[in-house]
Amino acid sequence: MRMDSRLQAYLDGDLPLEGLPAELRARAEEWDGLLEEIRVTAPAGAPLGLDTRVLAALEADRASAHSGWLAWLLRPRMVPVPPAAVLAAAAAIILVLGLVGLPGGGAIAESRIYVQFVVDAPAAETVHLVGDFTEWQPTVELEDADGDGVWSGRVPLLPGVHEYMFVIDGADWITDPNAAGYQDDGFGQQNAIVAVSTLNGT
Amino acid sequence: MKPDARSDIRHVSDAELVGQALRGSDRAFGEIVRRYQDLLYRHAERMTGRRDDAEDVVQSAFIKAHRNLRKCRDPERVGAWLFRIGANACKDFLKSQRTTVPVEKMPGLVATDGDPEREAELGSVRNEIEQALRSLPVEQREAFLMKHVEGWSYTEMSETLDVSVPALKMRVHRAREELQVLLQSYGS
Repeated sequence: MRMDSRLQAYLDGDLPLEGLPAELRARAEEWDGLLEEIRVTAPAGAPLGLDTRVLAALEADRASAHSGWLAWLLRPRMVPVPPAAVLAAAAAIILVLGLVGLPGGGAIAESRIYVQFVVDAPAAETVHLVGDFTEWQPTVELEDADGDGVWSGRVPLLPGVHEYMFVIDGADWITDPNAAGYQDDGFGQQNAIVAVSTLNGT
Repeated sequence: MKPDARSDIRHVSDAELVGQALRGSDRAFGEIVRRYQDLLYRHAERMTGRRDDAEDVVQSAFIKAHRNLRKCRDPERVGAWLFRIGANACKDFLKSQRTTVPVEKMPGLVATDGDPEREAELGSVRNEIEQALRSLPVEQREAFLMKHVEGWSYTEMSETLDVSVPALKMRVHRAREELQVLLQSYGS
């Protein structure tokens, strides 16, 4: 049932009540009453203790994520080595190149592992790697020194599970199609996941 | 926690809380939850029609937000960012329900879900209104609730949902037209 466009405009706040013809004013007032009825029946607010339950769930989520990536790391698997042509199409690969202590550090907890990211983006003019380790800022620029469209770069990462994406030409955020795992980012896209472990399993 | 410490954090800006939460402070994230749980919950209960579902949806939305907090580009507007995550969580939930139970075609069943406490709580008129709201298509319901129950402007809705103002107006207009029909039939 079509509603008069002037009544719609009134309900949108684009037209005052006085702007309506007399025959529509009664309808407008009925609508005001209905909307008020809907508003007063709205829930008062969150149930008591919801914040506490959220924080408890957060703790459980952390524990679950930790056990999840640890299980992923420890699970026996075949590791295929793709030929160069396939490699070009791969969005990212991880090469553990060694342990490097942080300046002024030296404790294992502060050790980082160099991870190499590779993405095939022949039409790109710039490619940045962004992730939780860059606070999602495009501070890591990948390079394509030979101009073949395959961009790469090495990044020192702390052990743990990291989420990342690639940013093409400063605008297009793309997900690594060949990542080890994915995590819903809450905006209809997925972050790629990389799990980094030191040789002693930390 | 000392009373004065709790009082202090209540005066910290949203942007500062986001910064602290990013540095690992659960206390800061807890304060963010406390500030916006009512906003997300009211919307979720209206959208899902059930308190336990609404609580689950809000809880999962906050967990998702925590995981992706670094993606909050404008920490001063973290409330709008959280609302968007919560609104998307509601729609995802309702879509998942639709695959198993066609609730939107069964107004008699969605009114109270047989919950006697709920039935007692709602008068017949209010019950009819709730049924009618829940019979609306999800995106119309979302837009209608934001506009008329939660008091958002179309501009705020557009910025938060990333949907154009004309498209949102169309959803609200259609929702009103649907309600006009539904409430007539329920009232007859």
